Amino acid sequence: MVTQRIDHKWGMVVDLDRCTGCQACVVACQAENNIPINTKSFYQQRRAYHWIRIERYWEGEFPNVKAKFIPIMCQHCENAPCEPVCPVFATYHNDEGMNVQVYNRCIGTRYCSVNCPYTVRMFNFWDPKWPKSLRNQLNPDVTIRTRGIMEKCSFCVQRLRRGEVNVERRGIEPLTGERIPAADRKLNYRQMKEGNYLPACVQACPTNALQFADQNDNTGPVKEYFDEANEQIETRHQGGHVDEAHTRVYRLFEEIGTKPNVIYLKKVEPFPLDKA
Amino acid sequence: MKLTRRNFLAWAGLGAVGAVACEGFGIRRGELDIQSSVRLPEDLVRGSDNWYASLCRTCPSCEGIVIRVMEGRAKKIQGNPYYPTNQGKTHARCEAGLQALYHPDRIPTPMRRSGPRGSGEFLPINWQPNGMDSLRSALQANGSSSVMITEPLRGHMALLADRFVAAIGGERLGFEAIDNNTFRTAVKNVFQQDSLPDFDLENSKFILSFGADFLSTWVSPTRFNRGFGEFRQGAGRGRGMFYQIDSRFSMTAANADKWLPVRPGWEGYLALSLAQVIVSENLQARGVDVDSLVGGAPGIQTLNNFRPEIVVPLAGLTPEMTGGDPVNFLKSLARSFAANRPSVAIGGGSAGAQSNGLFNLEAIYALNFLVGSVGKKGGVKFNPASPWADVPNASTAGSLEDWARVTDQIRSGKTKLLLLHGADPVHGLPDSLQLRDAIAQANDLFVVSFSPFLDDTSVMADLILPDRVYLEDWGDDISEPGPGYQVVGFQQPVVNPLFDLDPLSFPDVLLTMAQELGKESDLPWANFKAMLREGSDALFNLNRGSIEASSADEFWNNLLRRGGWWDELRNGPTSVRPADGLLRTIAEKASSPVFDGFGIGADSFYLVPFAHNTLLDGYNGHLPWLQAAPDPLSTVTWQTWVELNDTTAKSMGVKEGDILRLTSSKDSIRAVAYPTPAVPPDTVSVPFGQGRKHGSEYATDRSGSESSNVMDILETTLVKDTGSLAWAGTRVRVSKTGESISISKLEGDVRAVEIGLTPGEEIIKTIAPENA
Repeated sequence: MVTQRIDHKWGMVVDLDRCTGCQACVVACQAENNIPINTKSFYQQRRAYHWIRIERYWEGEFPNVKAKFIPIMCQHCENAPCEPVCPVFATYHNDEGMNVQVYNRCIGTRYCSVNCPYTVRMFNFWDPKWPKSLRNQLNPDVTIRTRGIMEKCSFCVQRLRRGEVNVERRGIEPLTGERIPAADRKLNYRQMKEGNYLPACVQACPTNALQFADQNDNTGPVKEYFDEANEQIETRHQGGHVDEAHTRVYRLFEEIGTKPNVIYLKKVEPFPLDKA
Repeated sequence: MKLTRRNFLAWAGLGAVGAVACEGFGIRRGELDIQSSVRLPEDLVRGSDNWYASLCRTCPSCEGIVIRVMEGRAKKIQGNPYYPTNQGKTHARCEAGLQALYHPDRIPTPMRRSGPRGSGEFLPINWQPNGMDSLRSALQANGSSSVMITEPLRGHMALLADRFVAAIGGERLGFEAIDNNTFRTAVKNVFQQDSLPDFDLENSKFILSFGADFLSTWVSPTRFNRGFGEFRQGAGRGRGMFYQIDSRFSMTAANADKWLPVRPGWEGYLALSLAQVIVSENLQARGVDVDSLVGGAPGIQTLNNFRPEIVVPLAGLTPEMTGGDPVNFLKSLARSFAANRPSVAIGGGSAGAQSNGLFNLEAIYALNFLVGSVGKKGGVKFNPASPWADVPNASTAGSLEDWARVTDQIRSGKTKLLLLHGADPVHGLPDSLQLRDAIAQANDLFVVSFSPFLDDTSVMADLILPDRVYLEDWGDDISEPGPGYQVVGFQQPVVNPLFDLDPLSFPDVLLTMAQELGKESDLPWANFKAMLREGSDALFNLNRGSIEASSADEFWNNLLRRGGWWDELRNGPTSVRPADGLLRTIAEKASSPVFDGFGIGADSFYLVPFAHNTLLDGYNGHLPWLQAAPDPLSTVTWQTWVELNDTTAKSMGVKEGDILRLTSSKDSIRAVAYPTPAVPPDTVSVPFGQGRKHGSEYATDRSGSESSNVMDILETTLVKDTGSLAWAGTRVRVSKTGESISISKLEGDVRAVEIGLTPGEEIIKTIAPENA
């Protein structure tokens, strides 16, 4: 390793009671991560690129009908089903809790995509194309993925790295530019907000439905939820019962044991529809 | 060089100094290490970025943004965390400003028409002398019979444009396809306010919204979303309750705790019905003078005509919709609304876009007086006057009556010069107005467009003088609605135009023209930046607000760095006295909605169009990210779809992807069927925004079956007393064309149905029932 990194374990919390399905996160992600323009034919072929997407679920029939929105991105699973099936170790788990895709290793077997229960991996069937002038907008911090490469949400790793470089290695306070004493150089939630180091979707989300921080950062907004989720896992592991009616915390497909680093908070339903 | 003892010592000495110097400069540890191959390129972040504060212009509400610039190129737009209205957050639309900046279809240089008008044939010309000379000649010859059509303007740009047209003797009209005129008039009539109010959702406990899609497109969605997040799960408060009464299941309705489908146009009756329950059961907030508000005993008598028992059948409420007796439901809703204070009633969108839209909105907003939320925390908040005496803080837009008049003026030859900026009225007005034909056939008319993009109106131009896009230009704006105190946003150029583009700033062109026409006394500024700087100096001299500075120069710099100026102590009025007998006056205005054309009949459907989540009325149609952003409910992209009830669709033999023809008495369009469970059986909905015929391929490269403009079939029914277009007041016949296409959408082929937290096996079965 070039440098010894400070330990982080990143995590995201998605509050479905706040999410309004507005698509701000979707377009922010497209802009940040050099995602190709999703043309009409991409959608028709079901090959649109969405590192984050908002799924909409209908419930009931007219007039008692509801629609629920759920943002889905790579869950950065601790036990990621995509990782062991990659023959070339292009997808692996890093020491910060992230599921990472190494583009220059990927040979495009698409096994990972098949094995991902969340359908969040996108395969580049063709080289991405932008009109010449639109290339000026491309983010220089993010690699353009070529044909034959798998891609997916990276938790905006380039922003995290920029934060780590500026705060932890160079010791620069984001807003003021002041030097940070060597002992205090650990990127915290405030610095991530002030320095624009939060993932683009989190930064854009107008209702604050998306929150992101180090799972162990006491000053961040996610620790309490991860503590609760981990407690639930422990309770279940020991054969105990988790009272679902009194918690909003859950993880997607928790029962298949992927241990995602993304936590969802249930939508509150004062008038639930009768599902019988 | 010959090696001598002297040379040898000199080189040895230099070498030693160099070695010491290099050691001092310090090659950092790690830089000579071999890189691990598993490290991503993203791990090797290099270069530094700059963030500049400015303003977003992709929708009429003005958001503060910051733009990331690296190596002279804008890379990312985010919300300005300091800006009071959006507080660091953005809508999907804001991000796409970069695509407007680097759009491949920007008009690079001035152009003059070389073929028949509307043919799209243009020849490039230079700004000097051809472009400016042509404009000056046109202004000299026909300035006094000119009409300038702009986007709705506020701030110094509004002042400049108004002074310019006054100086040349012309007229200016703001253009919004889906205008807020009825909402503005209702606010004026009910609250006596000239600018749009804010809604303090963050501190509200109960939101009752009628027709306003305020989380998606209505007025200031980013601000409302910000408040809504806190309304739902904010720290230190209970979860708020939200009812949406709407003839369409919008994105906002999807986020409501309860959606009540109302028959289009009866929202005002429902609001008065709630008022009747509150008054008759004495549920009003403490201190509310009900007698004065209602207008005494005659008022109560009038209000009694809106008892739930009378209104329920008119509004089309059924026990299935309300989970029991609809009368009891309305009574219980009124009680909850009155009890869970602070509560707020919001009205807009389709509720105001009926022939009786003004009555509907007035009735809705009057509810706020009963629950004591007018000017109060958690209720309707008013905004103060502009900090500059002569600079407008509220935009104005022409009504349909105005546009009909302008069309007639063009046709009769009274208007000889049309100046267009930021507006595409040919696309955004009902086709039956025939503005396109009027412009095409007016031989004496000279049309100048300042648009940086070709669209359905600028293609009719004789002269195109491309403006800069907002990331390249100066500007300011007074947010409307503001957050309840004075806010001025400033826009600065963050990058230069690309080398192959040659745009000139629209306000600078106007100022140059004013000087060349001898109108310096009206417009004495050398350029728009100088005008804004004068505004900044005036703010500095106020000696208050958010920017601290010891000199006017320092103030200007800090103002641009912060993205604006605001003064939290200069609030709008916190109390507004309602007019005596307000509820009675409103109730006496009550009228049922009128549907011109086919009228109410079993063979036709209510057509409830809606603003597209990202394209709005089509203003953003050329931006590919916004075309490609899935609609929140249907998830459809790039196409025009018709939402219809799935049971109705089944009975008609219509399935998803079928091309339907929607016919009104005016015209017909084709669009893709998207059956959903969330549409009333007697209603169809179609988004505005598509169907552009000229300009960028991103907006125009689809056939009429996939991309059509719902404006083409709207009846030209007017909203009574405002003259605006009642865009939700059309009935259409729906027929199959026999054609079918692949629908371009995010969701899969099998309908995704929510089944709650259920074990994994069942989830898989339910998502694909036929495979179970």
